[in-house]
Amino acid sequence: MTRVKHFLFKLLSWFLPDRIARRLMRKEIEDLQRALEGTLTDKFLEILLGGMGLAFLLLRGFRRNLAGFSGRYLFRTADGTVAAGARFASGHMHVLHEADNAYDVAVTFKDPAALRKFLFSKDQDILASILVNEVSVDGNLNYIYKFGFMARDLVNRLGVA
Amino acid sequence: MRQVSLKDLALSDQKRSARVEALREAYFRAVPEVCCERPRLVTGYSRDKGLFGKPVLSPLDKARLYRHVLENRQPVVAHDYGVGRDMQPFQVKARSLFAGSTTSHFKGVPMFPEYMGLAIWPELLNIKQRASNPYFLADDDVAVLNEEVFPYWLGDSIIERCRTRMNKERTGEPIGSHDAPEMVLLEYLVFFLTSKGNCISHTIPDFSKVLRVGLRGIIEEAQQRGRNAEEPEQRDFYTAIAEAMEGIVSFSRNLAREARRLAGLTSDAAEKAELLTLADVNERVPEYPARSFREGLTTVWVCWTAIHLENPDVGLSLGRLDQVLYDLYRHDVEAGALSIDQAIELLCCLWLKIGDHVPTVPATGEQLFGGTGSNQAITVGGVDAEGRDAVNDLTYLMIRATELMMLRDPNLNARYFSGVNPPAYLRRLCDVNLNTGATPALHNDRAVIAALTAKGDTIEQARDYGITGCVEPGSNGRFYGATAAVLLNLTSVLELTLYNGEHRHTGPGVLISERTGDAASFASFDAFKTAFVRQASWMVDRATTLNEALGRTHQDVYPTPILSSLFEGPMEKGKDLIFGGASINSSGASIIGFADVVDSLAAIQKVVFEDKAIALPALIQALNANFVGQDVLLARLCNPDKTPKYGNEQPAADSLARWLATTLDGLFARKTNYRGGRYRVGYWTMTNHAGFGRLSRATPNGRRDGENFTSGMTPVSGVTPSLTKALHSVASLPSALLANGVAVNLKYTPDNAHRDKMLDNFVASVEGYFDPAPGGQGGMEIQFNVTTHDTFVDAVKNPQKYPELLVRVSGYTAYFKDLNPQMQQEIIDRTEYDLGTGRAVEFSRTGSSV
Repeated sequence: MTRVKHFLFKLLSWFLPDRIARRLMRKEIEDLQRALEGTLTDKFLEILLGGMGLAFLLLRGFRRNLAGFSGRYLFRTADGTVAAGARFASGHMHVLHEADNAYDVAVTFKDPAALRKFLFSKDQDILASILVNEVSVDGNLNYIYKFGFMARDLVNRLGVA
Repeated sequence: MRQVSLKDLALSDQKRSARVEALREAYFRAVPEVCCERPRLVTGYSRDKGLFGKPVLSPLDKARLYRHVLENRQPVVAHDYGVGRDMQPFQVKARSLFAGSTTSHFKGVPMFPEYMGLAIWPELLNIKQRASNPYFLADDDVAVLNEEVFPYWLGDSIIERCRTRMNKERTGEPIGSHDAPEMVLLEYLVFFLTSKGNCISHTIPDFSKVLRVGLRGIIEEAQQRGRNAEEPEQRDFYTAIAEAMEGIVSFSRNLAREARRLAGLTSDAAEKAELLTLADVNERVPEYPARSFREGLTTVWVCWTAIHLENPDVGLSLGRLDQVLYDLYRHDVEAGALSIDQAIELLCCLWLKIGDHVPTVPATGEQLFGGTGSNQAITVGGVDAEGRDAVNDLTYLMIRATELMMLRDPNLNARYFSGVNPPAYLRRLCDVNLNTGATPALHNDRAVIAALTAKGDTIEQARDYGITGCVEPGSNGRFYGATAAVLLNLTSVLELTLYNGEHRHTGPGVLISERTGDAASFASFDAFKTAFVRQASWMVDRATTLNEALGRTHQDVYPTPILSSLFEGPMEKGKDLIFGGASINSSGASIIGFADVVDSLAAIQKVVFEDKAIALPALIQALNANFVGQDVLLARLCNPDKTPKYGNEQPAADSLARWLATTLDGLFARKTNYRGGRYRVGYWTMTNHAGFGRLSRATPNGRRDGENFTSGMTPVSGVTPSLTKALHSVASLPSALLANGVAVNLKYTPDNAHRDKMLDNFVASVEGYFDPAPGGQGGMEIQFNVTTHDTFVDAVKNPQKYPELLVRVSGYTAYFKDLNPQMQQEIIDRTEYDLGTGRAVEFSRTGSSV
């Protein structure tokens, strides 16, 4: 997304009611719904980070999660076939499409389905996947707790089951 | 007045008063509410004073912080509302005789972002709906925690500070490198747990001094010592004591002021008088010495709330309240100022106050280890410092209050010294176990005192022991024992031995520890034992290394000036507890899976090496297959007539139990902790035996994948048909090896048709277990569930019918309905003995009830 578009979206969000913003995000919501249902599993990480990034621009309430927050996340499969990252700083979220080894926390998951379970378990219980060895975390676990809240907040705001 | 003047030790005429009845009804109706008051005040102060990110926080920093919190807490004299299971408020129709509460809610969840509080961050939006033990959390409070509290602690929680500390020590870099191996092992959750990421707590303060001299006396002593101190750190520490104590005084005065305000608002004369009395009491204590029983109880209660502001509600225990409050009780009764009715009502109100909170437990915690309260133990009975009978009238009143209330917290523990305490006392303790089905736990003074003196306590210190948390003994107000410092899964040691340093949970090819030999390479059982000891040594090293790193992190940022002020030692040494200020500075390890490992070792010895019925690699293949297609082998392994089992007085198994306890005691005894104390080993498991069991694969004793391990030091369920033999086996273990406490869980079949006879047998079983064999001390501890198998099974199916069904887990008491399914099944599957025959009732290991 260009800086101009980024700026315009953010500006727009000050005037847009959430329901209109959700309409603008219809495709992302549908993708996220399908990813959570398991029909778009392979792209789960990409869809989640992309949806989150857009929601930060369009949903003013959701943007409160960014206030004063800086953090670097790395998500990857053990075999390295999937890797992406997210950087939070100065009220922005930047999605990275490749591994960056400068992170506060790295999440290594067996496959995208395991990551989905990790972030969206029934009770939003992110420790459960660690227990069954589908996910391992290197770094500051508190950042994962924060990300887990934002992920749940996102699907609640978008009305995704 | 004699120590025991009651005509009816059971106090049968005593019932719950209308006030207590109403409060108790509300207690059971209420769900816990997450409380944001403490985290908001702590975070705000820390932010404003620049405490975040500081490498070191002194006792004075912390004392000023807590003074701020105590002075700014909302003074709640009485809660008008609780929140019900429908997450709707309901009216609380009575007022307690004690003002103040642990949190700002009727039943609260205290929040410690400094520790593991952030673990519920992902759940904040749906914690009201979670399947197991939901909490109420107001929408506004979600925002407070998400925006005003948790973000500040991202890099400042104890566990995170410890992680970066360990990384810096290893690599010079706090981040960007792989975490320390001990931290990785902790996250697997299958090797060991260390509680210091969540608390230290697990101790008993000294209430006797504050009752005697008041907080003002403690403040004056600290000021005097501070003037004479030469070291700046000591002067600061004494200032910290004064600051912290002034905070508690302010809190109690605020409560008094609020009570007086409420009295001014009511036209009801009785209510007005009650509120004014409350105000008078809180104005007086805990600042000044308590003059009456009620003032004594209020002193304990107000100090207790302050201690819980500083220290997480995990195993903090109240000690021997029947001893420290007896003189006040006796004085009032002799002066005609207190009736037994009034004393019982006061105790019942205090019991409810003590139980007014539950610890913060994330969903995984509930699934694996759920159902726990705060494990606040109270200890009664036993002997005094001179070894004389210490049972008094107040002992019996506290027992009666416990019987009337049937609460999870406080967790009542009764001491008994055979030949010193009266037999009628033991009979009463057993009677209460029949009536409540689960409490109190019984402790053998002779064995416990011997265990503590073997670890260096003086005889006077040892005789004044109280129970901490679940079952851990320690000298009241002197013992900073961190009794849950290490919870070690012993079955993982066995696993690492069998799999040459690998573990099936973490997968093949992943070397966890060190290579100690392929299964095929062991030429003898002794060689296998040697490898086992090497793996045990490796695991003890890793667990204690992490515990020490966490302990040093506590020293960096979590001194405890409030607890230090109410303890013997810190004042004299001019040193906070966290720096070794206590008289006794041990750390505790508890072993999970003891009986399963003993029986597994016995099976390997007998079946593999003696009978040569199967080679060790073939046995491992059977384990990998979860015994599928191995019915004959499985039957042999489970049969106590063919394979020795701990708990049957079979020398082969019992000698292995002794060898194992001796080995573990020796491995931990090599370690000195960061406060200069030594490690003590115990065998109690809370619900960890179910949690670890769920993560662990089949074991050589015939246990299948994911099945529970056996609780505490209890023999494995279903393989010990004789009660007497089971008790003798357990009691044969030297108590000197068990100083961190044991939990021995027995299940007796209720026999209401022959209750007196059952009570006789119950008493005889305890006497027999406590009775020392030549050269021994007798069994240390025993606890019971006396509820029918059918009731438990029905309670699984219809939990709403049994909201108050109390059970002993492995140490603490819990409500059966709150336990996770696996833990419920473990209790159902426990060996159940018919006291009429002394034999196990027919036992079917179906695992199908849940």
